[in-house]
Amino acid sequence: MKATKNGLLLLLAVLLIALTACTSTNQPSNGGSTNEGLGAAAGNDEPTAAAETADPFGKYESPVTINVGQANDPTDNSLPQGDTPENNQYTRHIKEQLNIDTKIIWRTATGKDYDQKVNLSIASDDLPDLVIVNDAQLRQMVKAGQVEDLTETFEKYASPAIKGIIEKTEGRALDAVTFDGKMMALPNVTARGDAVHTMWIRKDWLDKLGLEVPKTVEDLEKVAKAFAQGDPDGNGQPDTIGIAGQQAGGKLYANFLASSNNTFGLDPIFSAFNAYPGFWLEGEDGKPVYGSIQPQVREALAKLRDMYASGAIDRELSIRKDAAEPVVSGKAGIFFGPFWMGYWPLPDAIKNDPKANWQSYALPLDKNGEFSPHMATPSTQFLAVRKGYEHPEAALKLMNLLVRDEAKFDVSVTLNHYPVRIVYAPVDEIEYSLNALKEVLAGTKTAADLDIPGYKLLADDASKVGKAKLEPFDNNDIQYWNTDDIGTWSRMYSIFVGGAPLLEPRNEVYSLVYSQTKTMESRWANLEKLETETFLKIIMGAAPIETFDKFVEDWKKQGGDKVTQEVEEEVKG
Amino acid sequence: MRNRSFEKHYYLMLLPGLIWLVLFNIVPMSGIVMAFQDFNPGAGIWKSEWIGLENFEYMFVLSDSKTVLFNTIYIAVLKIIGNLIVPLVFALMLNELRLQIVKRWVQTIVYLPHFLSWVILSGILLDVFAFKGPINSVLGAFGVEPVLFFARADLFPYIIVGSDVWKEFGFNTIIYLAALTSINPALYEAAAIDGATRMKRLWHVTLPGITTTIVLLAVLSLGNVLNAGFDQIFNLYNPLVYSSGDIIDTWVYRAGLLNLQFSLATAMGLLKSVVSFILIVVSYMLASKFANYRIF
Repeated sequence: MKATKNGLLLLLAVLLIALTACTSTNQPSNGGSTNEGLGAAAGNDEPTAAAETADPFGKYESPVTINVGQANDPTDNSLPQGDTPENNQYTRHIKEQLNIDTKIIWRTATGKDYDQKVNLSIASDDLPDLVIVNDAQLRQMVKAGQVEDLTETFEKYASPAIKGIIEKTEGRALDAVTFDGKMMALPNVTARGDAVHTMWIRKDWLDKLGLEVPKTVEDLEKVAKAFAQGDPDGNGQPDTIGIAGQQAGGKLYANFLASSNNTFGLDPIFSAFNAYPGFWLEGEDGKPVYGSIQPQVREALAKLRDMYASGAIDRELSIRKDAAEPVVSGKAGIFFGPFWMGYWPLPDAIKNDPKANWQSYALPLDKNGEFSPHMATPSTQFLAVRKGYEHPEAALKLMNLLVRDEAKFDVSVTLNHYPVRIVYAPVDEIEYSLNALKEVLAGTKTAADLDIPGYKLLADDASKVGKAKLEPFDNNDIQYWNTDDIGTWSRMYSIFVGGAPLLEPRNEVYSLVYSQTKTMESRWANLEKLETETFLKIIMGAAPIETFDKFVEDWKKQGGDKVTQEVEEEVKG
Repeated sequence: MRNRSFEKHYYLMLLPGLIWLVLFNIVPMSGIVMAFQDFNPGAGIWKSEWIGLENFEYMFVLSDSKTVLFNTIYIAVLKIIGNLIVPLVFALMLNELRLQIVKRWVQTIVYLPHFLSWVILSGILLDVFAFKGPINSVLGAFGVEPVLFFARADLFPYIIVGSDVWKEFGFNTIIYLAALTSINPALYEAAAIDGATRMKRLWHVTLPGITTTIVLLAVLSLGNVLNAGFDQIFNLYNPLVYSSGDIIDTWVYRAGLLNLQFSLATAMGLLKSVVSFILIVVSYMLASKFANYRIF
């Protein structure tokens, strides 16, 4: 069996030549041992559960080991001297509280590398005990019978805090992990703020050129052109960019599979045309339709094409290696992203130019004068337990502990070092925090009033907000902030500046589904490629706008119609 | 004449290489059965459902298949031609140099890029060809509008081929230079005495002298006709140039590793292997016929 697996893994390695090195070195040595555990597991399961009487925070009597795969940001150096990803304040806390030993069997960089490694682990059936996966991966694993059913374990072991957070999503989180009525993984729950993409703009540039904050797409185009041509950085050279766009491999807009946190996309411009490419919408006849083939998208693309041609949008849209680079170096004046830009990339931007006054607005507005963003599913990441792992409840205990103690952690060591961490946040965390912290500044509330279950960071925020925000409290311009403690500034700026647009009224548009259907598993990649390629070519002037009509036909022919039918069935069922 | 024990010694030395070959190249081949299955990682390759040629049928329905096959062959053929002719011309020119020191320096400098990986070089290339990069500045000085090179599907294959030839020609030059040294200098002297000009000597002495090497290299490179260079293209391409730059290897990578379509990716990889195998057999036969090159 082991030989077959090796053979398989190596076959992939040979076929996908570039990855030869990775696969052969990454052959985890414990592949055999985890499988041997299979037989013993079945026998052990019940007595363990009975003996512990299902305590969500229960400490194991004898040490339990979790084998995990970890994604780490390669530029992160927050671990103190002597600590390792396997032995740091978080893993020690876990050992102390739960008697769980963390063993990292492989590490990758965050993002694409991690996804690839997980895909490879799935293909070679050599999974870590606990693994964080996305929707497509979870589907594949359920189909292959590689994950443990967590229905009962969740009932018994989930802490009230986690159950409460999941319930608040009105079934959205559970839907994402339920297959044939069984719960196959733990869903994460992110704050709604991650889903709303707003306009970030250099207010100091606006002031310098004597411009107003653009309200409509027309205004936006004018401002962006002025930014590109009016030398707002005052160096005498036409080297500035109006609207910065996504990098190579980035997304032009969030879609129903990755519905939030699309930094540097052009989502708000699309939604200003009431166009929601990549989302499943309700058509006029009440049946599901795919957003990308709607006439509104054609309109939006035509406008984007004009804006690109006139220089309002970054020329190197989708070619640039690092989308944040022009923002960091002070060459871009507008971009779109969620509330948390204060964490990234703005700290680097203000380091280079302390006067860079980035402000965020719920703009541009659509033809009805409303801000109509697309909204996300709260659950995009899932914590799955390998089939046959002896202690599936360890997954829940880890998350219970995380939610309970997160506020107590010293987060100068990035929380990503907490093994298999998925985010649990109340959906309205940002809006709620912003309102509460305003009261703290006004003196009507103190940190002691804000120890509210679920809002785990709020009390801590309340004690720190005074250090970052300077008077006057109702003006968020960059000169009224103390940036000495950049960690605190990041969070406060994100909440106050990034969170402010979340309090504005908005017309929310949800996708009908947020996961793949059967046919999508084989056809979607191809359809998505067709879409990305066509749209980029239209915007960047490599293809006429009429290509859109052909795209709609091709999309339907190449499996789109079938997929639409399946979505219709799923929405009905 | 034959010494048995001497031969055994050789076989022993061959052993590690053979073991490596079996472990890494022969054993994994059993995995090609995935191409005929709806591969289920949980069940493994022996228990996955057999679906016959369905993967291949779907593959041929995809409009992508034709595009990537064409792109692969087009880019690879251009690369083969470029990598034969440029080093040849360059070697001939170097050979005419009289100052040995200049020759050595030039030779060393032009083959340096060969040792850089495409990950690094692609970063450099993207900057050099950037919208505000040096190439566009030079073009701008002549009044040409800046060109967004990596967004132009019509230019992409040529940038790929050009940069590959630039990276590799120094290395290939060495092979030709080695062949050139084997030409008997007496022939040149005789030709000079008979009144042959430099060009004539090049044409009638030098070229015939290295024809075998040229033919051999040309024929052997046929086996690479479906290897258009994964690392290079993977590091340089973007959706805008898929239509002219997406090759079999990048496609397989996206299907298999990014989109979890293991069976489809294997099917495409198998197709590539089969075509490559045929080409290698043909090129071996040609090599044996024209250049008298034999392995067996």
